[in-house]
Amino acid sequence: MGVPKKDEYRAVDDFVGRILSRKNDRRSFLKGAVVTGSALALSGCGNGLPGMGEESVLAWQEFFKANYRLMTETEKRDTVTRLEKLARIRQGIDVRISTREPRENVLFGYGFNISRCEGYMDCVAACVKENNVDRRSKTQYIRIFEMEHGKMNVDAGDGKYFHEVPVDGHFYMGVQCFQCENPPCVKACPTKATWQEPDGIVVVDYDWCIGCRYCMAACPYWGRRFNWNDPEVPSSEITRRQHYLGNRMRSRGVMEKCTFCIQRSREGRNTACVEACPTGSRVFGNLLDPDSEIRFVLAHKKVFRMKEELGTEPKFWYFMD
Amino acid sequence: MIRFSATFSLLAALFLGVLLSGCREGGGHAAGVAERIKEAQAPIAVDSTITDADFPEKTVLAMEEYQGGFFRVEARRELIERYPCTGCHNEKEVTVADGAAQAHGDIVLEHGEKGRRLVCFACHKPDNRNLLEAEEGFAVDFDHSYRVCGYCHFRQKRDWIGGAHGKRMEFWAGARVVKNCTSCHDPHSPRFKKRWPKTYSLPLT
Repeated sequence: MGVPKKDEYRAVDDFVGRILSRKNDRRSFLKGAVVTGSALALSGCGNGLPGMGEESVLAWQEFFKANYRLMTETEKRDTVTRLEKLARIRQGIDVRISTREPRENVLFGYGFNISRCEGYMDCVAACVKENNVDRRSKTQYIRIFEMEHGKMNVDAGDGKYFHEVPVDGHFYMGVQCFQCENPPCVKACPTKATWQEPDGIVVVDYDWCIGCRYCMAACPYWGRRFNWNDPEVPSSEITRRQHYLGNRMRSRGVMEKCTFCIQRSREGRNTACVEACPTGSRVFGNLLDPDSEIRFVLAHKKVFRMKEELGTEPKFWYFMD
Repeated sequence: MIRFSATFSLLAALFLGVLLSGCREGGGHAAGVAERIKEAQAPIAVDSTITDADFPEKTVLAMEEYQGGFFRVEARRELIERYPCTGCHNEKEVTVADGAAQAHGDIVLEHGEKGRRLVCFACHKPDNRNLLEAEEGFAVDFDHSYRVCGYCHFRQKRDWIGGAHGKRMEFWAGARVVKNCTSCHDPHSPRFKKRWPKTYSLPLT
């Protein structure tokens, strides 16, 4: 690469001018940022350009932030402030975004009682509400399979039933992200936008995800979801207690997944699905605490994990009474 | 020729070594999370940030112990309409015409096997309606109805005490607070009813 010629400089200038004179939607903003980013970042234009609205300035600053795992405490605080301001501008609501760290000596585990679940799907509805999941595409993190007695393969189950439940001769099996201890999705990610937290939750940095969907292909459990469009959630229904790695608003073209309701579980609360379950089929707790409910299940019940032979080590056990 | 076979055997040994080390890695992996859990002895999860005020429902100390010691259970007595029962069920005669039907006509008794349904006094104490009784002399407060339920459903009670049946209220962390039997089950008709699911899922592909 040689030194750029004078007219090449002019071409870039023209392009930047064109971008900036346009209304700043996400696409044109990103295009512009690619070109102008390096030049302006160097010249210390951290507050955006003259004439930019508050939203554009915030979005601009957001664009240059680091991967969550590389952020300092100050950077985390700054980005949270920006995202909260953006929520006020874009959705007109006050959200509280937490960056709460994992607790010491905690490894989350989950139990699902296949002899108790009646297929009411209260968990699915609660999960969608809690996690601000797109309503338009009807994305859901949890899928409940209606299975005939004796069948153990979800391929043979019905994942889209809609009739009175429970149906005689059937049982119900919930599937969601199993927060594998050896997660294939994390290995597949080319941008290190997804990783496993010390408390065992596999999370996504939505601002580092490039939407290649390799993780989706790598997951043997259909645990990940892709945003084909900007998520549409009515402002009145947005859950305002959010976590940076959890239920904060995503945008088009990024992956998302169940995070064991990181915004709740890190505060000691039960996940939304556990809270909503009317039959007590869902058990959630600390695997490292020998007195916890999940440890009781592991010690006293017949348990199995899905596709155990793959060596993914899900921290999600099915059990029977 | 000798040199060739020496090189070949060296390569073969290397190949074998790589294979074996691969196996070992795989083997170590299979131990995985189960091993990690077994060795773990996390200190008891005391969470001072969670207080009684965080529970919207009233709770009482359970008359049982689980593997981690004492625990609390959702209080049910105060949720009973028209409690205390002795307001009507006392020495005086009930003067309201058709009183029984008006007071408890909504109760559908579907508890016990068909043809051998339980009767009121299988659980209620005949001479003191403020209490339950599973066996003569074994009076139980409505807050501790699990003691009556467990009289027959001892397996479920064992699981409930341990944590495989029922569920914790609000928090997984902090001191243990669980739902009572009657928080989820209607004691007169304990089986969950058939109903339409809350939502539905789209096909996967």
